[in-house]
Amino acid sequence: MVLADLGNQLSSALRSLNETTIVNEDTINQLLKEVGNALSKSDVSMSLIIQMRKNIKEKVKLDQMAAGLNKRKIIKQVVFDELIRLLDPGVPLWKPTKGKSNVVMFVGLQGAGKTTSVTKLAYFYKKKGFSTAIVCADTFRAGAFDQVRHNAAKAKIHYYGSETEKDPVVVARTGVDIFKKDGTEIIIVDTSGRHKQDSELFEEMKQIETAVKPDNCIFVMDSSIGQAAYEQATAFRSSVKVGSIIITKMDGNSMGGGAISAVAATNTPIIFIGTGEHLTDLELFDPSTFVSKLLGYGDMKGMLEK
Amino acid sequence: FMKYFNVLTGNRVIDNLDLEPILADFKLHLTKKNVAPDIADKIVQSIGTGLEGKKLATFQGVTSVVKQQMEDTITRILTPKRNIDILREVQAVKGKRPYTIVFSGVNGVGKSTNLAKVCYWLTANGYKCMLAACDTFRSGAIEQLKTHADRLNVHLFERGYSKDAASVAQDAIAFAKDTGYDVVLIDTTGRMQNNEPLMKALSKLVNQNNVDLVLFVGEALVGNDGVDQLTKFDKSLSLLANTTQTHIRTIDGIILTKFDTIDDKVGAAISMVYSTGHPIIFLGTGQNYTDLKRMNIKSVVKSLLH
Ligand SMILES: Nc1nc2c(ncn2[C@@H]2O[C@H](COP(=O)(O)OP(=O)(O)OP(=O)(O)O)[C@@H](O)[C@H]2O)c(=O)[nH]1
Ligand SMILES: Nc1nc2c(ncn2[C@@H]2O[C@H](COP(=O)(O)OP(=O)(O)OP(=O)(O)O)[C@@H](O)[C@H]2O)c(=O)[nH]1
Ligand SMILES: [Mg+2]
Ligand SMILES: [Mg+2]
Repeated sequence: MVLADLGNQLSSALRSLNETTIVNEDTINQLLKEVGNALSKSDVSMSLIIQMRKNIKEKVKLDQMAAGLNKRKIIKQVVFDELIRLLDPGVPLWKPTKGKSNVVMFVGLQGAGKTTSVTKLAYFYKKKGFSTAIVCADTFRAGAFDQVRHNAAKAKIHYYGSETEKDPVVVARTGVDIFKKDGTEIIIVDTSGRHKQDSELFEEMKQIETAVKPDNCIFVMDSSIGQAAYEQATAFRSSVKVGSIIITKMDGNSMGGGAISAVAATNTPIIFIGTGEHLTDLELFDPSTFVSKLLGYGDMKGMLEK
Repeated sequence: FMKYFNVLTGNRVIDNLDLEPILADFKLHLTKKNVAPDIADKIVQSIGTGLEGKKLATFQGVTSVVKQQMEDTITRILTPKRNIDILREVQAVKGKRPYTIVFSGVNGVGKSTNLAKVCYWLTANGYKCMLAACDTFRSGAIEQLKTHADRLNVHLFERGYSKDAASVAQDAIAFAKDTGYDVVLIDTTGRMQNNEPLMKALSKLVNQNNVDLVLFVGEALVGNDGVDQLTKFDKSLSLLANTTQTHIRTIDGIILTKFDTIDDKVGAAISMVYSTGHPIIFLGTGQNYTDLKRMNIKSVVKSLLH
């Protein structure tokens, strides 16, 4: 998973800073190269990495540093701040309100894990005492409604979908209306997978958004995604009001950097991570815990304080 | 990208000093195109070794020499060493026994959808196909396949959920043989490459039934994880292999899906083929039955170097 490996590589890059005798332009370039390599091996967007290297260089102006300052410490702090900026958009996590209907809409690329995460999330809130329901507005994918039906039955959660209505906008609106009327607190709308290259699919997504007026729109992203992540995330964000991200399949071997780039692309916090195919394989995500775990694994905090 | 172009011309020997910045640029370029950094590194290094000490022709810049070399190298990487002609192989056993194809891969990459596309293609070529529902785990998997079978007007063999996938495949093949089907297309459950019990189960399905063709389905969106997926699926197939068999079972070929979602970030194709040597047999280019294409090596190389 992303934490351990990335943390280790980063701290080893920073450690080599301690081993050099003089800190000069070359040292910094070497450090930036290593940090960049570590990030690119975990699929962080190359343009983000380039930007980040530029930011660090700008902040660390060796010739302008007063003599006697601990250059190493300053450089580490700058690198560290940039990493945090990458991981934490500084936006508060969305929380549903009890006693009213909260509509949550899921969007994302094909096969990202939306439908699976929809049930996990519904189950999560159900355990917290919310009344929950799922609306299957994916009328495109073969077997989509059956998938929701099976999942919802397993989790004992109400659901709505249609065998005959082919317009996802109509299904979404009808389903949400039904559950709003009976006062369901969390209404989760599952939608088909789509990608930015298909403008009709994006148009459809906007129409669903208009029809159900979600309180939160969750963008689901597969943790194994590579360099295409940034552009896709940006496109989703500029079409609908994405408010949270769920990163799925974190039980695999991938480093998750592509998905993390989506945080930067959309300025949107990760709210949960998916760690398996089962109903309870969903973990709350808190950026500050994530960052401190990254520190812990790589022992960066220790490095910083030296 | 072409900033070094024509800087160095004349009848002189290429040395490391010329090459280094150019190769670094090419590596960055490949990484941006979603080639895994480790593999981008190996590719540029081998090009560097090949060119160092070579004489430049008059009016030739080092960059253009490198670019030409890059084009040749990548074309060579993508050109299959072993040709798999599925139609010919199916024809060879037709009338004697059904030809069997397994679709394997991690979760959500497009196994079932592309299985349906291959079925459409084989049917169009006059072969009698049958689908085998061996994803007995994921909710809705069987209904999804049933929907495709109905649309394609082919038979679906299924034994319901929670059954042992290898046995379902065995029964399906036996049924197909008795009934006179030409091809059995076997759908499998998505699994993470680091999940050993599930990887063993796949190996059992493949080896116990001695299938003709094992396809690895991977998505073009994948980053660094793609290589790990493919190599681990490859390796796992030799687990539980029948030791009397003369050759060790591996993946036979790749279907690279969601090629329509990546613009020109075609790097996953290079990473996957470079790391295993397995050919890309088809590209998945959309969600319809006709969105199954042969890879045009020239245009992939063009996208990559553009
Ligand atoms: N290992 C693992 N598998 C997951 C996780 N989340 C989802 N999956 C699997 O990923 C595959 C795709 O999940 P779906 O929920 O169908 O994805 P989707 O985004 O709804 O797909 P479309 O509706 O076709 O766009 C399924 O096999 C899921 O079981 C996860 O956190 N870990
Ligand atoms: N854009 C695009 N979408 C694709 C392509 N191939 C498959 N998909 C979509 O990807 C999603 C997942 O496809 P499936 O065939 O269900 O994937 P799978 O590998 O069988 O998934 P699991 O069985 O859950 O592991 C669906 O929404 C498909 O329509 C493709 O080439 N391009
Ligand atoms: Mg879905
Ligand atoms: Mg499937």
